Amino acid sequence: MIRFENITKVYPNGVKALDNISLEIEKGEFVFIVGNSGSGKTTLIKILMKELDANEGKLYIDEQDVTHVKHKKVPKIRRKMGVVFQDFRLLSNMTVYNNVAFALKITETATRKIRRAVPMVLSMVGLNKKSDRYPHELSGGEQQRAALARAIINNPQILLCDEPTGNLDPKTSWEIMKLLLDINLRGTTVVVVTHNREVVNAMKKRVITIKGGTVAKDIQKGDYGYED
Amino acid sequence: MKIKTFGYCVEQGIINLYKNRLMTLASIGTISACILIIGVFYSIVSNVDFMVSEIQNNIGVAVFFEEGITQERIDELNTIIEQREEVYSITYISADEAWEGFKEEYFEGREQLLTGFEDENPLKDSASFQVFLGDIDKQEVLVTFIDALPGVSHIREDRQVTNVIKSISDLIKYFSIALIAILIIISVFLISNTVRLTIELRKREINIMKYVGATDTFIRGPFIIEGAVIGLVGALIPLGIVYYFYSDIISRIMEKYILLDDYLMFMPVGDIFIRLVPLSILIGAGIGIVGSMLTIHKHLKV
Ligand SMILES: Nc1ncnc2c1ncn2[C@@H]1O[C@H](COP(=O)(O)OP(=O)(O)O)[C@@H](O)[C@H]1O
Ligand SMILES: [Mg+2]
Repeated sequence: MIRFENITKVYPNGVKALDNISLEIEKGEFVFIVGNSGSGKTTLIKILMKELDANEGKLYIDEQDVTHVKHKKVPKIRRKMGVVFQDFRLLSNMTVYNNVAFALKITETATRKIRRAVPMVLSMVGLNKKSDRYPHELSGGEQQRAALARAIINNPQILLCDEPTGNLDPKTSWEIMKLLLDINLRGTTVVVVTHNREVVNAMKKRVITIKGGTVAKDIQKGDYGYED
Repeated sequence: MKIKTFGYCVEQGIINLYKNRLMTLASIGTISACILIIGVFYSIVSNVDFMVSEIQNNIGVAVFFEEGITQERIDELNTIIEQREEVYSITYISADEAWEGFKEEYFEGREQLLTGFEDENPLKDSASFQVFLGDIDKQEVLVTFIDALPGVSHIREDRQVTNVIKSISDLIKYFSIALIAILIIISVFLISNTVRLTIELRKREINIMKYVGATDTFIRGPFIIEGAVIGLVGALIPLGIVYYFYSDIISRIMEKYILLDDYLMFMPVGDIFIRLVPLSILIGAGIGIVGSMLTIHKHLKV
């Protein structure tokens, strides 16, 4: 599903964020990515999303070489993925419903389909009663649920989460993680960058540890062995 | 692009315009000023050109003959001159016709002053050709040619008048082209600034759009529309102004300079607008679209 082959990313300022990284993630996997702050996790996600281009190496998504695709092809690749960030990134002037519908609108989905899909996904993340609220009327956990709903409404094959629980308390974090697990059980490949040691240790999923832009450890049913 | 998407772009573009209304008004203002000046100068230049060509058709050159020239030679000259490509038309005016015309022009209503001239034509050697040119610039060449023909005594030209008008018209043309160029640059700059502000204002939204896989067209569309709407509104306002004041100003000029009646000929507003409208809309929308594309190119790395 996702394959990094010797990928190196050097930022224009000379920082080598990824150093000859190779890894493979299968379809339907649930993978944690852990590592110190500044180790290159976000850069990895950005490479995957085609927000950044690798300087060296090759990136395959769905067995397709997407290392150097034309700018115009990028939206098509992104529609295979949903993304969730630490800071939710909801649009403050739109209701929950419209924030979620937005993802369908801009992919030119028919209005009829939007009206059916949004309530369904909102009830899946447990927000069906709050669809008319604005982001500032929601708790952090609820905002992240809305962001999740937006990320999965296009039925992406891959869900990328960059520290999705970084701003949430432990209990809420668990709820979000359970949701991610639900989504994974429905067949979506889920990649979660996190610092949440307890969750990682409890879930017994594959854990990839990044250190200085390289893969330091990659363990099935691993734990958060990394010392911060 | 789907119609729905186009609708979305228009909707978002207009929302942008409203959110940014001060800059929007400023940009519409400059474009309007720019196109108003285009409209005014276009009207002036067209009318001056129109007058020049009308006057040209009324002021030809008069070709006079040597004393004692035969009618055959006059006919020959007529044929030779008529064949020149510079010539728009040629009319023979006999001495009697010249005298009649003179009497009409200067003694009309005072025919008693002409007693004693009844039988004799005081202009008996004043038979001539009235030659009209298609293009006043060719006058010199033609005059040199005709002057050298045997049988021609002299040529009377009214070149000064037309030359002055012509050079005024050229001056206005160059001046307005320069002015319009400057204004277009200012307008592009202002629009691009407006669009840049909107992009700034919507950075978050644009980012999210990118993450969920919006295409370039989809992201850029609203900004292009924004620029185009500014350009179009900026073109329509001055067109309205010019249309409203055109006839009024012309009738005022006509009243004030009633003595110049023969020289002041104006084009009807319809003739001006048939070209001014598409020109203005093209320039307005062009400025708008180019302005926003420049900004998008620079500030919207999709
Ligand atoms: N846009 C950027 N320009 C330059 N350097 C960057 C940029 N983004 C990140 N970096 C650097 O690249 C390294 C990896 O960053 P990042 O991938 O954000 O790490 P993480 O997400 O694991 O905290 C860090 O040293 C960081 O300072
Ligand atoms: Mg990070």
